[in-house]
Amino acid sequence: MLPLRRLSPRLWLTGLGVLVVAGMVGATETTVPPPGIREHTPAISALTHARIVAAPGRVIENGTVVIRDGIIIAAGAQVAVPADATIFDLTGKTVYAGFIDAYSELGGPPKPPMERGGGRGRGQEPEGPGTPAPKGGANYWNSKVVPQTRADQLYQPDNDANKNYRSQGIAVRLVAPSEGIIKGTSALVTTGDGDNTRSVLKDHVALHAMLTTRGGFGEDSYPTSPMGAYTLFRQAFYDADWYRQAWDAYRKDKQLPRPERNDALDALQGYAGGTAPVVIDASDILYDLRADRIGKEFNLNVIVRGSGQEYRLLDAIKASGRSVILPLEFPKPPNVKTPEEAMGVSLETLMHWDIAPENAGRLAQAGVPIAFMSQGLKDTKDFLGAVRKAVQRGLSADAALTALTVTPAGLYGIADRLGTIDAGKAGNLVVTDGDLFADKTQILETWVDGQRYENKPAPLADVRGAWRLTLSEKQAPTDTIKLLVKGDPDKLSGTLSKNGKEAKLNDVGLNDARLGFNFKGDSLGWNGVVRMTATLDAATLIGTGAWSDGAAWTWTGERIGPFTPEADTSKPKPPQMASFPVNFPFGAFGTAGPPAQPAAVLFKNATVWTCGPQGKMAGASVLVQSGKITAVGANVNAPTDAVVVDLVGKHLTPGLMDCHSHIATDGGINESGQTISAEVRIGDFIDPTDISIYRELAGGLTEAHVLHGSANTIGGQLQLIKLRWGALPEQMKFDNWPGTIKFALGENVKQSNWGDRYTTRYPQTRMGVEQLVRDEFTAARQYKARWEDWKKRHAGIPPRRDLELDAIVEILDGTRFIHCHSYRQDEILALMRTCEDFGVKIAAFQHILEGYKVADVMAKDGIGGSCFTDWWAYKIEVYDAIPYDGALMHNAGVVVSFNSDSDELARRLNWECAKATKYGGVPEEEALKFVTINTAKQLKVDNRVGSIEVGKDADLAVWSGPPMSTYSICEQTWIDGRQYFDRTEDAQRRIDDQKKRATLIQKILQSGDETPPGGGDHKGKWPRCDVFDEQSVEMEGGR
Amino acid sequence: MKQYVAIAAALASIITSLGVLQAAVPTPGAPQDHPIALVGGTVHPVDKPDIPGGTLLFERGKITAVGPTATLPPNTEKIDVTGKQVYPGLIDANTSLGLTEIGAVRASNDINETGSINPNVKAEVAINPESEQIPVTRSNGVTLALSAPGGGVICGTSALIQLDGWTWEDMTVKAPVGMHVKWPRMTTITAWWMQDSEDKQKENRDKALKDVRDAFDQARAYMTAKKGAAPGTPALENDSRWEAMISVLEGRLPIIVDADEIQQIEAAVAFAEAEHVKLIIDGGYDAVACAALLKKDDVPVLIGGIHRTPQREDDPYDAAYTLPDRLRRAGVRYCITGKGAVFNGDVRNLPYHAATAAAYGLPKDDALKSITLYPAQILGADDRVGSLAVGKDATVIVTDGDILEIPTHVEMEFIQGRKVDLTDKQKTLWEKYKEKYRRLGIKN
Repeated sequence: MLPLRRLSPRLWLTGLGVLVVAGMVGATETTVPPPGIREHTPAISALTHARIVAAPGRVIENGTVVIRDGIIIAAGAQVAVPADATIFDLTGKTVYAGFIDAYSELGGPPKPPMERGGGRGRGQEPEGPGTPAPKGGANYWNSKVVPQTRADQLYQPDNDANKNYRSQGIAVRLVAPSEGIIKGTSALVTTGDGDNTRSVLKDHVALHAMLTTRGGFGEDSYPTSPMGAYTLFRQAFYDADWYRQAWDAYRKDKQLPRPERNDALDALQGYAGGTAPVVIDASDILYDLRADRIGKEFNLNVIVRGSGQEYRLLDAIKASGRSVILPLEFPKPPNVKTPEEAMGVSLETLMHWDIAPENAGRLAQAGVPIAFMSQGLKDTKDFLGAVRKAVQRGLSADAALTALTVTPAGLYGIADRLGTIDAGKAGNLVVTDGDLFADKTQILETWVDGQRYENKPAPLADVRGAWRLTLSEKQAPTDTIKLLVKGDPDKLSGTLSKNGKEAKLNDVGLNDARLGFNFKGDSLGWNGVVRMTATLDAATLIGTGAWSDGAAWTWTGERIGPFTPEADTSKPKPPQMASFPVNFPFGAFGTAGPPAQPAAVLFKNATVWTCGPQGKMAGASVLVQSGKITAVGANVNAPTDAVVVDLVGKHLTPGLMDCHSHIATDGGINESGQTISAEVRIGDFIDPTDISIYRELAGGLTEAHVLHGSANTIGGQLQLIKLRWGALPEQMKFDNWPGTIKFALGENVKQSNWGDRYTTRYPQTRMGVEQLVRDEFTAARQYKARWEDWKKRHAGIPPRRDLELDAIVEILDGTRFIHCHSYRQDEILALMRTCEDFGVKIAAFQHILEGYKVADVMAKDGIGGSCFTDWWAYKIEVYDAIPYDGALMHNAGVVVSFNSDSDELARRLNWECAKATKYGGVPEEEALKFVTINTAKQLKVDNRVGSIEVGKDADLAVWSGPPMSTYSICEQTWIDGRQYFDRTEDAQRRIDDQKKRATLIQKILQSGDETPPGGGDHKGKWPRCDVFDEQSVEMEGGR
Repeated sequence: MKQYVAIAAALASIITSLGVLQAAVPTPGAPQDHPIALVGGTVHPVDKPDIPGGTLLFERGKITAVGPTATLPPNTEKIDVTGKQVYPGLIDANTSLGLTEIGAVRASNDINETGSINPNVKAEVAINPESEQIPVTRSNGVTLALSAPGGGVICGTSALIQLDGWTWEDMTVKAPVGMHVKWPRMTTITAWWMQDSEDKQKENRDKALKDVRDAFDQARAYMTAKKGAAPGTPALENDSRWEAMISVLEGRLPIIVDADEIQQIEAAVAFAEAEHVKLIIDGGYDAVACAALLKKDDVPVLIGGIHRTPQREDDPYDAAYTLPDRLRRAGVRYCITGKGAVFNGDVRNLPYHAATAAAYGLPKDDALKSITLYPAQILGADDRVGSLAVGKDATVIVTDGDILEIPTHVEMEFIQGRKVDLTDKQKTLWEKYKEKYRRLGIKN
C-alpha cells in the first residue's frame, strides 16, 4: 500500500475540483463559520460592449462576457445580460483571458548572492529561500532529492505580491519549490486576494528538478558538481523503479524482508513513462539539451525551464519536441564605454545582448511551444514590458498571447479551466484600453475567479477640460476668466486666464470629486498666491477661493469644452533587429555549421609522418575519401574531383591526441562529495563551446581524453572527444569507444594539500587507498553475483541498480578501462597487484612520474604510461619526477604517451614530445608516437586514429616544417576529412569578429540604454539556473 | 648486525659502481686558474654577428677574446668545440628560484613575506644554494635568474643570481635589481571562479592602490626628514621599510611592476612618472596597446611568459605567442621571461618560450637576444652578462645544436669561467634506474 499512498489524496482532490465546478449554480459553499452576519453579495457580472479576444486569433467585436460565481457562463457577441448581473460597460476596452505566469519559485525573488567563503571548503551555504529541508518522514538518503516537497503546502499568499502580478495581467501563477536537485512538486495559484483555501488551484502540477547543484567552495556534501547532480537524478529515478518492484514483490509475499519505506521514492512514482510534467531548469543552452537528454532516458514528459539562449540551437530545440518556459529578463548592454572596458567584453556577450529579445519570436516561428515566466525578473512589474519587447522583436501578437494563456494552460493540464474566454472557464480576465502589446496600452483591470481588481481605479470625477468661471469678487462684468485642466488624471496641470492673460496652476490635485489648485495672481491683477478649491457637482464646479490676505470668496465654473488629450506626435522607434546571424559556438570564432566533408581530398607532396608501419615518407601523398584514409604513398591515384591540398615543403602528421585533458567541461571536473564517485560521467557535461577546443585545434590536436579530477580514489567515467568545433555535445564524442574511468592515488585523494580541515575523509593514507579499491572491487563482484542470481531465478526482492557499482562491474568485465592518476612507485605497484587479484586491466597510469622506477612491471602487465614530460617539485610526491621518465618507460617496453593536463600545453604537444628525444634519446619518429598512436593505444582506439594508415579516420595536422621543430607551426587541422582549422581562415575570422564587435559596440553606445557599471565579461559557465548573471558560484577547480 | 654490514657493503658497492650517485647538489665549480679557449664552434656573441669556427677565450672568469681567431696565452686549455654552438648563458628575468623548493610544502617556501608593504625584504638572503632546482635549471643552459619576492603589494627587492656558488653571496651577481610591486587589477572579474564580489574586488583594488601611494608618500616624508635632519633636531627613528625605499625615490633602483592589462600598465607608468621613479613592466600582455606611453618614458617590459593562454575570450589563439614580435615592431624594449610557468621547476624551459615567439614571427636573433642580452640590459647587468664580449663574465654554454630547439643538449657550461658540473638530481636518478634496467637486460 505504501508506494501508492500518494495517489489517493490526489484523486480525492481532483474529485473535489469537479465538485467545485459542478457547484457553481449555487453560492460557493464554505466550511468557515460566519464571523457575524452572513455575507452574500451577489457575484454575477456582465462585461458588455467590449472587444473580446476570446483566444489568440478569435476576436469578438462588441461582445459580452458573463461571469457567475467565478466561472464564465457565457461569452460572445449575442449574449443576453442576465437580469441579476452587475453590468460593467467596457465600451472602447479590450478583454483578454487572464495570463498564466508559467514559473515562479516559492519564497519570492532570488536571494542575494551568497557570501563567499575564504577558500575551498570553508564557506557555508546559506539557508535556501523557500523550501525547508524535510523534517521527519522517511527521506531519501540525499537531502537534495525531495520530490515529496509540495509547493501547495508551503505556499503563502502575499497580497502585495499578488497586486503586482495582477498589474501585469497575471491571474494564475505556477509556484515551484526552489531547493534541491529533485525539488518537489509545484502548485497553480491564483493572484486573487484570499487564503490557500481559495487560492491554490491545483497541486502536484509538475515535478521540478535541476541538473546541477548550488555547488562551489562551500559545498561539501554530495553532489558537489553538476555531473554529480545529473547522476543523482538518474539514480533516484532508478531507485524509484526498484522501489515499486520491491514493494510489489513484498506485497505478493510477506515472508520476504520488508523493503524500506521512502517518501521520496513514493513521490517519484508515475513520472517515468507517464504524462505528468517534469520541469527541468536550464541555465544555459547546454542545460536545455541535457534536460531533453535525461528526459529521454526515463521517458519523462519534460518541460524545459529555459535559459533564454535557445535561439543558439533552434534546430536542436525544435527537434527535441520539448516546450520551453522562457525568462523575460533580457540582458543589459555590457559596459563598452571606453575601448579598454570594451576589450573585456566578449563577442558572445555583445551578440547575446543583441539577439536575446528575439529568442521568443524565433522559437515561436520554429513551432516550439513557449510560455513565459516571471522568475528571473528583477521586478515583477517588468513582465508585460518584456513580453512587448519580444513582440517588437519578432514574436507575433497571437503567439505572445498563446504563450501567456493557452500554452501554459495546456502544459499544466488545466486547459479545461484556463487559457481562453469561454463558457465553463474560470473568470480570469484582463481588461485593457487598447492593443495589449502596444507600448502605451494600460491594463485597467484584472479579474481573478470573477473578482474584479482595478489596477488603477478611474478618478471619481474627471475635471479635465475648459471651464468658464464666475467669481464672487474681483471680477468685472467684462472679465472673461477661464480654467483649463489637463494631463493625466493623477498628474493634473493647467492654467487660469483672465482676458487672455494666463497664470500657470500649481499643486493641481483631485481628491475624490474635489479639485484644488493655486497660482500666482499678480499677472492677472490679483496680489500674491491665490488658492481655489471646488467640487464637481454634476456638470458644474462649485467652489471657494482665498485671496492673499486670507479673505474667502466663492466661485462656480461651467464646462465650455471637453478634454482632448494632446496627440502623441512622437514616432515610435522602429525596433532594431539583431545585426548578425547566429553562429555556434556562439560568439567569436563560431561557425555557421560543420566544415564540408569533400568526397575526396588529396594531400600531396608532403613529408608524411605516418606513425605507422610506413614510417616517414618524403614527397608522399595521402588520399582521404568520405572522411577515411584510403591511400598513403609516393604514388596515389586520386579521383579527378578530389580537393587537392598541395603541401610542398610542409609536413603532415596524424592529428595529435591528448591523453589527459580537462577542456570542454562544464561546471567542474571533480565530484568530490564522496570517496568513490564511479557513477558520474564527464560525458554528461561536455561543453562544445569551450574556446580551448578551437585554440587546441590550432595546435594540431584532434582528440582529447577529458578526465575527471583526482579529488577521490575512484573518480568518474571519462570521455574521449574529437575536437569538432561547432558540433553539439553528443557529436563531440568519439563513437564506439569502450569507455574509461578515472582512479587516483596519493596526495590528492588523501587530501594532503587541501588544508588542515581535511583530515577525516577516508582514506588519509596510501594504505587506505589500497584497501578502498579492494573493497570496491569485492563489492562489485558481489553486486554482479546478486544480479546474475536474480536474472536466473527472479525470486525475492529484486536487486537495486547501483550506478556506481555498475561502472565497477564494467571494469571487472573488461569493458571499461582504468586511467589512474599516480605518482609514486609504491602506489603504482600496489594498484597493479590489486587489479591482478581481480583480473582487472589498467589501460594507463596517468602522470606516472615514477613510472621509470617500475617500468619493467608495467611493461609485463601491458599497462601504458601517460605522463607530463618535465613537471616536478610542486609537491612531495613529484620530487623524484624526471624528464627521462618517458624514455625509460618506452625502452622498457611500456606504451608511453605525453599529455598536457593543461589547456595551454595542449596547444603545442608537437613540441612537447620532442622532449622524449632530448631526455633519453628516443628517436624522433618514436617520440611523435607519444602524442599520436601511443595515445590511441592507451585509449583503445588505435584501430581508428593515431596514425596515417589506410582505413583510419582522416584526422590530420599540417605543419609549416618538421613537426617537432620549435620553429614549425600548425597550419591546418582536419578531422574526419573535414578541415576544422586553417590559419588563413583564422586570420579572416579575426577580421570578421572585429567588425561584428565594432558594429555591436556602436549599437550599444547609440542605444542610450543604461549600462551597468563594472568591466570585464559577464560570461561564465554557471551551474545554477536562475542566477546566470552576477550570482556566480565557484566550482572547485582542483585537478 | 651482520646483516647491516652486508647491506652497507652492498650499498657501498652500488655507489662505487655508479660513481655519479650523489646525495646533494653537485660541488660548485673551481675558480678559473688558467685561460680556457673554446675553439672551432659557432660562436654566438649575440651583440655581434655569429662567428662560425670562432674562438672564445676567457681568463680569471672574464672573456678576454672573441673572434674568428685569437692569440692564446701559453698555458691556455684549448677545448675543441667544432660542430658545437657557443652562447652566452641564458637569463630568466623573472623567477623565484632558490626561494622555494616544493610548492606544496610550506616549510620550503620563502617567496611571500606577510603584510602588504615589504620593501625592506631582499631576495638574495634567502636563496638556498642547495636547492635541487638550481642544477636542474642550469642543465638546460639557464645560468642566471632574477629571483624575486612576491608577498604583498610592495614585495621587496630581487636579486640576479648565477646558478653556481657555495653561498648566496657567491651566487649574487647584482642586488638589489628592482623593487617589485604588484599593481592591483584595475578591472573586475565576474567569472565563475572569482571568489570576491565585484564590490569586494573594487574595495581590494582601491586599498592596494592606496597602500602603494601611501607607502611612497610616507617613504618620501621619511627621506625628507632624514635629509633635513640637522644637529639639534630630534633624532629620526629608523624605519627599515622607508630606508629601503630611498634608492627607489632617488631614481637609482627601478620598480618592477606586475601589470598585464592596459589599465594597470598605464596607471603604473603615470604613477612612475609622477613619483619620478624608474619603471620596468613585468607581464605586459597589453603592452602593445600602451606602446606610445612606454616608448616615451623608455619603460621596458619583462614579457611574462609566451606559453600562456589568451587572456580574453576573443583574443587570437596566438596572442601570447606573437606578443614579443608585436612589441618589437612597436619599438618597445622587452625581454622574454618564463613567468607563467606553473612553477620554478619549469624555468629550464625558458629557451622554448623564445622559440615559440620565433615560430610566430620574432626574428631568430631577436629571440636569442630576448633571453640573453635584452634581460641583461633591462636588469642593468649588461656590463657583466648577456653577451659574449670582452670584459664580461665568462658565463657560457656549449650545445650540440640550436639552443632554441628542444632536442638540443647543453654539453658544457661555465659560470664566471668556473666549469659547471652538469649533473643534477634528475640525471642522477636517470643513471640509477638505467642501472636497474641494465641488470634486467634492457637497453637505454
